[in-house]
Amino acid sequence: MSVPQARVSSVAERWDRERVLALAPDVPSQRTAQSLASGRAWPATGAGTGALWGECRGSGAAPYRAVVDLSGPAYQCSCPSRKLPCKHVLALLLLWADGAVRDDPAGPPGWAGSWLMARAARASRAPSGEQPEPKDPRAAARRAEQRESRVASGLAELDRWLCDQARQGLAASQQAGYGHWDDIAARMIDAQAPGLAERLRALASVPHSGAGWDGRLLEEYALLHLLAVAYRRQGELPPPLRETVRSRIGFSLRQADVLAGGQPVRDHWQVLARRDLEQDRIRARRTWLRGRKTGRDALLLGFAAAGQPLDDSLTVGTDADADLVFYPGAVPLRAVLQAKHDDGDGGPPDGGPVAGLLAGYAAALAADPWLDSWPAVLRVTPARAPAPAVRDGDGDALPLHPGAGDCWPLFALSAGRPVALAGEWTPRGLWPLTAWDEDGRAVTL
Amino acid sequence: MSTWQDLVTASLLGTERTGVPRSGVPGLPLLADAGPGAPDDPAALLLARAALLTVARRGGRPAGHAEPPPAAEPDPAPAVSPAAGRRLARMLGGEHPDLLAEWLTAAVARDRRVPAHLLPALLDRARRVSQSDPELRRLSAAAGGSRARWLAGLNPDWTFVTAHAGTDQNAWRLGSKSQRRDYLTALRARDPAAARDLVTLGWDGAAPERVMFLSVLANADLSLADEPLLEAALDDGNAEVRGWAAHLLSRLPGCALGRRMARRALGCVRIDPGVLGDHLGDHLVISPPVQWDVAMRRDGLSPRGEGSLQQLDDRTHLLLEILARTPLCTWTREFARPAEQILGLLPGPRAPVLFTGWSRAAMAQRDQEWMIALINWALAGGPTGTRFGAETLRQLARRADPARCARETKASRGAEIPSHIRDAISVLRFRYDMLKELEP
Repeated sequence: MSVPQARVSSVAERWDRERVLALAPDVPSQRTAQSLASGRAWPATGAGTGALWGECRGSGAAPYRAVVDLSGPAYQCSCPSRKLPCKHVLALLLLWADGAVRDDPAGPPGWAGSWLMARAARASRAPSGEQPEPKDPRAAARRAEQRESRVASGLAELDRWLCDQARQGLAASQQAGYGHWDDIAARMIDAQAPGLAERLRALASVPHSGAGWDGRLLEEYALLHLLAVAYRRQGELPPPLRETVRSRIGFSLRQADVLAGGQPVRDHWQVLARRDLEQDRIRARRTWLRGRKTGRDALLLGFAAAGQPLDDSLTVGTDADADLVFYPGAVPLRAVLQAKHDDGDGGPPDGGPVAGLLAGYAAALAADPWLDSWPAVLRVTPARAPAPAVRDGDGDALPLHPGAGDCWPLFALSAGRPVALAGEWTPRGLWPLTAWDEDGRAVTL
Repeated sequence: MSTWQDLVTASLLGTERTGVPRSGVPGLPLLADAGPGAPDDPAALLLARAALLTVARRGGRPAGHAEPPPAAEPDPAPAVSPAAGRRLARMLGGEHPDLLAEWLTAAVARDRRVPAHLLPALLDRARRVSQSDPELRRLSAAAGGSRARWLAGLNPDWTFVTAHAGTDQNAWRLGSKSQRRDYLTALRARDPAAARDLVTLGWDGAAPERVMFLSVLANADLSLADEPLLEAALDDGNAEVRGWAAHLLSRLPGCALGRRMARRALGCVRIDPGVLGDHLGDHLVISPPVQWDVAMRRDGLSPRGEGSLQQLDDRTHLLLEILARTPLCTWTREFARPAEQILGLLPGPRAPVLFTGWSRAAMAQRDQEWMIALINWALAGGPTGTRFGAETLRQLARRADPARCARETKASRGAEIPSHIRDAISVLRFRYDMLKELEP
């Protein structure tokens, strides 16, 4: 069995209430869970081997039975709520966080044990819940060929559309509605190039993004044109760059293939920053990591339908001793977590100077010209004049992203002194995500 | 060679109307417009040159300049514990926001500071609610320390942090109403006698002015030196002034109004040792006042209640108001037993009235012994099942010392716990944890 034994050998380190409440799907759940988290409502609870279980008295005759696998975390409750985790699971976790759930040497009762066993068995079969191995290799090859030709004709159409824009002039774009971009985006969906569709849909807001919109729109059109050309000539590209081009278009690798094809990198990964985005009823979570030993940057992407919890197994400000496997590409940044061996308190990262960040980004762009989000770990002082920015000890400054708001918490944290700051560097500016206070504690901005 | 801006201009016009500027990266050969491999469409050429320049500009972007503000002076006071900071963040996020003042008061009393990153949200909140709660501004400024003053220098929305010192005489003579109020509040805390003189001098002004004077006293510690002014204010021509005066006097131990109320109260509530052979034993006999006279009116008593008290008849409401303004030591002395034993004698139907009257008295007189006895009686299933009884419990749960209250209900197993009791317990538990986290 390949379940990571280190996780289940002892009762997991207790979480704090904050970490529990962060799991709640909404604020009302947090409130009801807190009022449910009293010993009276829970006649029977227990903990052991990385799991919690308990029976909660509800309005009906039969108690609700909640069980938590802390390694996921994953939850199960017999209540009819469709929220995940439900208030009972949250309340059980809160009780545990308060130290009110005792270890039970007898182990879980049958109803909890069977669910935990089933999970362990599933975990040993498949590394994740994605699509299984294709059954018929010949049919799979035929489907891949079909897709290839659809994408090729889709990209040819996109390139014609882009040239039409450049021929007729971008000035008209300010009057164009969202449909202008949605139509071509929909055709890219038909052409099975979802990566392109997403980029195109995002363009609809550019003409209304303030001064310089024309330049920004031209940049995006030019980079899409470059992508179309690169795909057309992919045979001439070195394999890593070809992978980058294909992933930007929307050919996604199955995690199982990534895990099978790559060499795991074990390190103490600092969990530096997290950014959640919601687009088309899909929630995406970007988690930025940096290896303490290797110095490598890594990006974990998680997705969930709206209302469903995003993966929460890594907490910002902690260190995770883990194996990562990187996706292939010209700039290997995206990774998948293969196994987590341990986690613990992290200290603040070693923030670098602005010049180092810009040099690193330039080198990465030379390999992947479409890269528009690059991890920034800096030691800087925020400034408001002449515009919101951060400045390092050498006097070099970077603007803050206009979409990041006024960033008052960052200013308050620094009080005019340098702080360690992690964020995303983008062509429009720095998006601050995490800063470390005087005591070295991570603060999510 | 042309620039990026030339390309942008050309792209706005379109290659139908204009040529493709010869824009390239200095030091690299220009993307050719003719020859092998060159695009035959001028639009494609424009996009190709733009792509090259886009990447070059992104990669070659120079660092900019910025001037950080001067650093804040260090604050010798330490920040609160991480757990206390996390709870404050939750409260600023909407969980029990009405307890913010208590959190801040406890932090200020222990000379602890608000975690820096939470100050912007706290100051925004204090600014928004400042009209209804000037106290929150004062507390936020105090708990924010030098960091809050530094932030106030950067954001004009928060200038109240530094303007709040309240030592500028001009603020009193020339300032706005809220500046005058701040000045008087600060002076009252520093030198009560001087504040009293200032109020006496301005007493003959407009009625809203007198209301402001009295409302400043609502957050101050009162002493018998305040009594002559307040007693005189009971005869004021303005109803709001009279109301404030009666309310403040009911908080002042040893004053004449308290003695008048005690006389009335003892006429309404007495102890009956029970009839021989009857198993009742000692119990309270309640007889509400039969009439509403001029003296009662002067002392601020009214037969008509507001809100949920409208359901009471006139006599019962008068009884409740008398109880609310009677010094609580009246009962412990007269009945010669502690508060929780007196509550054990409460009769059924009128219990919510006595509970509410005594609770108001306990909260006004800040009497923890009574507050704790009352809330424990209610949590143990004392009949609070009226709208005003539930509201009283809600208020008690926010004022009684949570360390001395029952934080579990003793209601019988399996029975549905009424929601007002469940809520009160959750507030008490929240406050208990909150105050514990703030201990040094």
